[in-house]
Amino acid sequence: MAMVDEPLYPIAILIDELKNDDIQLRLNSIRRLSTIARALGEDRTRKELIPFLSENNDDDDEVLLAMADELGGFTPHVGGVDYAHVLLPPLESLCTVEETVVRDKAVESLCKIGAQMKERDIVAWFIPLVKRLGAGEWFTARVSACGLFLIAYPSAPDLLRAELRSVYNELCHDDMPVVRRSAALNLGKFAATVEAMHLKSDIMIFFRELTQDDQDSVRLLAVEGCAALGKLLEPADCVANVLPVIVSFSQDKSWRVRYMVANQLYELCEAVGPESTRTELVPAYVRLLRDNEAEVRIAAADKVTKFCGIVCPQVAQQHILPCVKELSFDSSQHVRAALASVIMGVAPLLGKEATIEQLLPIFLALLKDEFPDVRLNIISKLDQVNQVIGIDLLSRSLLPAIVELAEDRHWRVRLAIIEYIPLLASQLGADFFDNKLGALCMQWLGDQVYSIREAAANNLKRLAEEFGPEWALQHIIPQVMEKIKNPHYLYRMTVLVAISLLAPVVGAEPTCQTMLPVVINAAKDRVPNIKFTVAKMLQSMIPIVDSTVVEQTIRPCLLELQEDPDADVRFFAGQALQACDQVMCA
Amino acid sequence: MSDLDRQIEQLKRCEPLKESEVKALCLKAMEILVEESNVQRVDAPVTICGDIHGQFYDLKELFKVGGDCPQTNYLFLGDFVDRGFYSVETFLLLLALKVRYPDRITLIRGNHESRQITQVYGFYDECLRKYGSVNVWRYCTDIFDYLSLSALIDNRIFSVHGGLSPSITTVDQIRTIDRKQEVPHDGAMCDLLWSDPEEIEGWGLSPRGAGYLFGGNVATTFNHTNKIETICRAHQLVMEGYKWMFNNQVVTVWSAPNYCYRCGNVAAILELDEHLSRKFTVFEAAPPEARGVPSKKPVPDYFL
Repeated sequence: MAMVDEPLYPIAILIDELKNDDIQLRLNSIRRLSTIARALGEDRTRKELIPFLSENNDDDDEVLLAMADELGGFTPHVGGVDYAHVLLPPLESLCTVEETVVRDKAVESLCKIGAQMKERDIVAWFIPLVKRLGAGEWFTARVSACGLFLIAYPSAPDLLRAELRSVYNELCHDDMPVVRRSAALNLGKFAATVEAMHLKSDIMIFFRELTQDDQDSVRLLAVEGCAALGKLLEPADCVANVLPVIVSFSQDKSWRVRYMVANQLYELCEAVGPESTRTELVPAYVRLLRDNEAEVRIAAADKVTKFCGIVCPQVAQQHILPCVKELSFDSSQHVRAALASVIMGVAPLLGKEATIEQLLPIFLALLKDEFPDVRLNIISKLDQVNQVIGIDLLSRSLLPAIVELAEDRHWRVRLAIIEYIPLLASQLGADFFDNKLGALCMQWLGDQVYSIREAAANNLKRLAEEFGPEWALQHIIPQVMEKIKNPHYLYRMTVLVAISLLAPVVGAEPTCQTMLPVVINAAKDRVPNIKFTVAKMLQSMIPIVDSTVVEQTIRPCLLELQEDPDADVRFFAGQALQACDQVMCA
Repeated sequence: MSDLDRQIEQLKRCEPLKESEVKALCLKAMEILVEESNVQRVDAPVTICGDIHGQFYDLKELFKVGGDCPQTNYLFLGDFVDRGFYSVETFLLLLALKVRYPDRITLIRGNHESRQITQVYGFYDECLRKYGSVNVWRYCTDIFDYLSLSALIDNRIFSVHGGLSPSITTVDQIRTIDRKQEVPHDGAMCDLLWSDPEEIEGWGLSPRGAGYLFGGNVATTFNHTNKIETICRAHQLVMEGYKWMFNNQVVTVWSAPNYCYRCGNVAAILELDEHLSRKFTVFEAAPPEARGVPSKKPVPDYFL
């Protein structure tokens, strides 16, 4: 809003720059079109600025795009809704340019303006514009026209409505595939505004014809229309008119159309209802799961859980699970990865028995997949299965695989396993955990990858929270302390981080007795990085320990570090000392 | 939080700084870099990294694997810019870290840190596109002139972007170069940034048109003369991320995984601990979900 107060001189420059040779200046000027308009006032904006812009449509695409965008919000600057129609001419000409993004933006802005216009203005200005574009000589105009019917139609009187429907019919039969594509793409939105009577007659005819188009790019856009149209129709009409189209699309000769069906099938099921889903769409889905084209199988595999969710468990087990089994050995790793990312969700749908019997072998196979993404996708969703089959069985059957993956070559797989450990620990209990997984958790502290060491330290903290301070003091802390002797500074640093994370969990007493001495001792390390890490860790321990410990142990150590030759050690020691002071004051 | 710490956080999110901030950052960097020697002394422990080439999200992956600066000490062997999509953010992040933690990170010059090369391989265009002017490119290329030419770790490991030069026999000769200039077309400074090791005897002509090829005996003599164990350099794509040559006298480290987003190579960093024992950590390109741009949705349109 600050722009309102700008003096008029810069406005003159902006107007001048609209005609400048430098595209960057023109672009800047267009982006501040509303400032110019406010300075000119509504009247002069209508009479001078808008006509100037209308003539100005052979500029660079980037400038035109910015203009199309700005004009969409221009109604207030020309005097409000009553004058909105003056904005139509420049946008109409932008609807005919060659660049698609400019046309799309112009159509978007026209819809925005049209949605505000009064009914009589729509009839007087907007509908004639749609008809002109629809009959345009260039395909660009006709492509744009398709996107405007949804605004024009509701305001039109009966006679004009019939005319608009017939214009749309012509667009659906246009010689240019690109126009037919636009007609197919916009059909759903247009149909939502058409009366039920004409929906069944006219619109369904357009739809059927588009679905039989010889261009697959037109047909695949019509697939998208299926779901939208289906939701508008009565269920019976939907089954009669839309369902056969979907079924035939699922066997289309073009894989791109089949891919689209696979992607949309779930929405389509909602449109036709449960009964027809079972009889008609399940067989179609099974075909897609076994499609020759890997892309189609990926899209279909991606929907396994959603699809199993809408059919009854028996149908899922009988028809879909056999295909899932095949897919877990698919030749394409991407199909297996897509399956792995959703398959865990099927477990709650099937219940315990069927999961154990049918899904568990599939999980195990995918956990051993050679492609890391597949393994990762399974691990990250393991908790969904816990709830269904119980941790006992899960750990018995999956634990060997988990232990193996704990040393996976890919660090993100190891990370996923670590993040799963606290959950596993809470379910297994301390005893079982110690035997099987305790050693692994320590081993990760010495991992070659920093993110794993960091996660390992956090993991120890969460384990200590789960099993309590007593357990931590016995089973974690001695081993952690031992590792401070590592000859490599990065690994010693991890130990310090782990100590500072464990301190608040075990409390003041054990912290002061066992852990603090180790940290204080590390302040004599020869590597500056260790020394400033010590300073940081001491700072984090201040709130946990007694104030006498702060004064007698922590502060002297920090004061020494503040005299260190290394600047970073001095900096972090200084910060920690400030924290000490604050505690003492409080 | 200081302005600089805030800028580092911002750059870590791959958001470029304002032009005025870049100018101020470069001025501060200049004050630090001008004090550095042509053969910058570096203490172990340190992690050595090769070419990055504007692959910002892979640099973040490098930090995930190697640890964040300042906790881990770093030595970058040049070629921060060009080829990748985010040269601006990559170089500015490294430079901001240098200004904030001058003792924790060392940056030396690569052959791409040059006005001429960046105009051909992307950095110039990227600056123009992201800022609408070439000012940021000017500030950065002015800083390039101040970057050190090599580093010497605990007097035992000599690090340089390219390799050796026939006009240099001792490390002290490097110290006499006046480095504050655009990379010349020939001579010692050019060779350090352009040369490659090759299985030959003595010296050879470089197919790159600048620098030389140097053989195992050249490396042996240089190392012996200067009491050096190893020459560590970058400059050449190696599919396994690192490569030893000449009986462990020269090692190449390459830190741009899936170079140019299509070479299919892995990357490596060389982690030296305080006793100079070596450990290579190999890593792959950041997965799509760790990159800023959301992975392309596989919805086929009519272009498919």
